[in-house]
Amino acid sequence: MRLKFDEQLDLLNKELIKMGAFCESAIAMSAKALTEGNPALAKGVPDLSVQIDNKEREIENMCIKLLLHQQPVAKDLRVVSSALKMVTDMARIGDQSADIAEIVTLANINSANDTQIIHDMSVAVIKMVTDSIDAFVKKDIQMAKAVIDYDDVVDSFFDKIKNILIDFFSKPETDGEYAIDLLMIAKYFERIGDHAVNIAKWVLFSITGNKEGK
Amino acid sequence: MTKRIFRSICFVAVIVFLASVILFMGVLYEHFSNVEQAQLKMQTNLAAQGVTNEGIEFFRDLKVADYRISWIDANGNVLYDSKSDIAEMENHLEREEVKEAIAKGYGESRRYSSTLMEHSFYCAQKLADGTVLRLSISQHSIFVLLLGMSQPVCVIFAIALILSIVLAVRVSKKIVKPLNEIDLDNPLKNEGYDELSPFLRRIDSQQRQLLRQQDEILQKENELDTIVSSMNEGMVLLNPKGKVISINPAAGKLLSAKADCIGMDMLSLCRKLDLQEILSNALQGEQGERIISFNEETYQVDANPIVSENTVKGAALFFFNVTEKENAEQIRREFTANVSHELKTPLHSISGYAELLKNDMVKENDRIPFAGKIYAEAQRMIRLVEDVISLSHLDEGAADMKCEETDLYELAQNAVQSLETEADAACISLEISGIPAVVNGIPRLLYSIIYNLCDNAIKYNSEHGKVIVSVENEKNTVVLSVQDTGIGIAPEHQERIFERFYRVDKSHSKEVGGTGLGLSIVKHAAKIHNAKLEVKSSVGKGTTVIVTFPAHKKWS
Repeated sequence: MRLKFDEQLDLLNKELIKMGAFCESAIAMSAKALTEGNPALAKGVPDLSVQIDNKEREIENMCIKLLLHQQPVAKDLRVVSSALKMVTDMARIGDQSADIAEIVTLANINSANDTQIIHDMSVAVIKMVTDSIDAFVKKDIQMAKAVIDYDDVVDSFFDKIKNILIDFFSKPETDGEYAIDLLMIAKYFERIGDHAVNIAKWVLFSITGNKEGK
Repeated sequence: MTKRIFRSICFVAVIVFLASVILFMGVLYEHFSNVEQAQLKMQTNLAAQGVTNEGIEFFRDLKVADYRISWIDANGNVLYDSKSDIAEMENHLEREEVKEAIAKGYGESRRYSSTLMEHSFYCAQKLADGTVLRLSISQHSIFVLLLGMSQPVCVIFAIALILSIVLAVRVSKKIVKPLNEIDLDNPLKNEGYDELSPFLRRIDSQQRQLLRQQDEILQKENELDTIVSSMNEGMVLLNPKGKVISINPAAGKLLSAKADCIGMDMLSLCRKLDLQEILSNALQGEQGERIISFNEETYQVDANPIVSENTVKGAALFFFNVTEKENAEQIRREFTANVSHELKTPLHSISGYAELLKNDMVKENDRIPFAGKIYAEAQRMIRLVEDVISLSHLDEGAADMKCEETDLYELAQNAVQSLETEADAACISLEISGIPAVVNGIPRLLYSIIYNLCDNAIKYNSEHGKVIVSVENEKNTVVLSVQDTGIGIAPEHQERIFERFYRVDKSHSKEVGGTGLGLSIVKHAAKIHNAKLEVKSSVGKGTTVIVTFPAHKKWS
C-alpha cells in the first residue's frame, strides 16, 4: 500500500519537475526572442503554454486522486497540497510567457535602446524561475529563501523601466505603442517573478509546514 | 546431536535392563520352584510317616506356617484340613494329585489360580491305610514378584535415564567440539577428525577459487572504473525508470550533480526538454542524439537504450563536448562565404571593365587605364588565391617543406628591401636593427611572417610614421619584433585579428588593400615553427607584434 503511494508521490514529483522544465523553456524562448528581436523564435511559446496547461490538469487530477485514495497525512499531505498550489503558479508563468511572446511577435520592440535593461530583467527572472524549481527538486530551504529575497531585484528592475518610460513620455516625439508594450512586458516579467516567489513559498511549506520556512 | 545420542544411550540402557531382569527372573523363578517342590515332597513324606504313626493326633500339635495339609480318605472325603472347615469341603477324589496318589502311591500337580494370581503346588502320598495325605504350598506368580519389585526398578530406571542424559551431553560435546573448532578460513590447518579431511581439502580449494575469481572481478571492475572515471566524455547509466545507476565524474561535473545523485531521477539532474525527449525515446528502445548547450558549451548528447532479451534494461547517456568542433565548423563556413565574396568583388570589376571594352564604349584615351584597372583587379585576385592556397597548405601542416638553418636577420633585410618602395610611397620610414640570429625553420614561411607583419605595419600606419623591425638573439630564444607608430588595435579586436578575413575597420578595407589573410598566415606559420605570437597595442599610439622563436640548437 505504502509502496504504491510512494510510487505515486514519485511520479507526482517527476511530473512537477517536467512542468517546471516546460515553464523554464517557455520563458527562456520568450526572453530570447525579445532580446534578439527575432519574433520567429517566439513561435513555439503558445504551443508550450498549451502543454503547460495540459500538464496542470494532469497534475491536479493526480493530486485529487491521491487525496481521495490515499488520504495522506502530515508531510505527505503537505507535499500533495503544495503541489496542487504550485501548478497554478507554474501555469500562470506559462501563460505570461506566452503573453510576452505575443507582444514580441507584434514587433514593436525593435529599437535597441532599452533592450539591455529588459534583457537584464529577463535574466534575473529566468534565474528566479530556475532557482525556484531547483529548490523544489533539491528540497533546498536556503535556495527557496534566496528566491524569495531575489524578488526585490526584479522589482527594482521594474521600477527602473518605469522611470525610463516616464522620461520617454516627457519627450515630444514618442512611440506610444512601443512604450506600452515595453511596460507590459516588464510587468509580465515582474508577475512571473512573483509566481516564482509563490513556488518557492510552497516549496518551503512542503518541507517545513510553514510558508515562511520558519 | 545431544538428543540423538541421548536417545540411543537411553534405548540401550532400557533394553539391557529389561533383558537382564527377564533373564534373571526366569532362571531364578524356575530354580526356586524346583527347590520348593523338592522340599514339599520331603515334607509330605515326613508328614505321611507322622500320620501313619499317630493318626489324627498328629495334626493336633502340628504347627504349619506356609503349608496346607489335607488328609483325605480313600473315598475322597476330607478328614482334616489345616486351612478350611472340613464340613464344607467337597470330595477331593477327582483332584489330579489325589488320583495319581491313589493310583501310584504318590502324586503331584501344579495349579494356577488366576483370581489370586498364585501358583499352588500339591503333593499327595498314599498312606498304608489307603488314605491320602496332601500338602500344598502356594507360590506367588512371577508378575506379583515383579510388581513387588516395581519401586526399585523405577529407581534404577530413573538413574539410568539421568546417567544417559549426562553421558549424552558429555559425549556429544566431545564429538562436536573439534567440529566447532574447525577454522574454515584455513581449512588445512585443522587437526580434527581424519574423516573430515576430504571435506576440508574441498573447502580449501573452493575458497582459493573464490578468492581468485573475486580478485579477477575486482580487477576488471577497477579497470572499468578507471576508464569510465578518467574519460573526458560524460557518461550516465539509467535504469528503466529513468533513475541514475552510475555517473562518471565528467558527467557529474557537467550536470553539477552531487555524490548522492545515485538513485535519483534524471529529471532532477537536468530538466532540459531536449534531453528528456531523447531519454524517454531511449527508454522505449530508440537511439537518439541531440546537440544541447550547457553553460555556453555545446555538447552532443547520445542516448542509447540498453537492450537485452528484447526488453529495455535501461539507457546510457553520453555527453561529448563538441564546442570546438562547432566553432571550427562555424569558422570554416564563414571562411568559405568570405572567400567567395572576396573573389566575387574583383571579378565584378573585371567583368564590368571588360564589358565596356567589348562593346567599344571606351574612348581611345581611356583604354590603357581600363586595362590597368583590369590588370590590378586580376593581380588582387591572384594574390588572394595565392594566400588561400598557402593558408590551406599551412592547414595541412606544410608537410612537404623542409626545415633548415636560416638567418632570420637576413630574411628580415630581404623583406624590408622589397617593401621599401611601398614604404616610400606612404612616406613611412622603415628601419631594421639587430644581429644575425639563426633559427631552424622553413625560409619561405619565415619570410612571409616578416613580410606580412611589415606590410601591415606600413598599411595601418599614420602619415610619416615609423616601422622598426628588430631581430634579437636571447638566451634560448630568437625574438622578432615589428613595431609601428600606427593607428593601433583596440583590445576587443586584438584576439580576433588573426582570424581569416577579420578586419577591424570593415569600411576601409578596399582602400588599404590586402586580402585579410595576412595575419592568419602569420599565425599558422608561427604555429608550425612553435613560435609564440604576442600583440601589444594601444589605439592611436601603435602596435608591436612580437614573435618568439625557440633558438636553433647548434651542433656542439
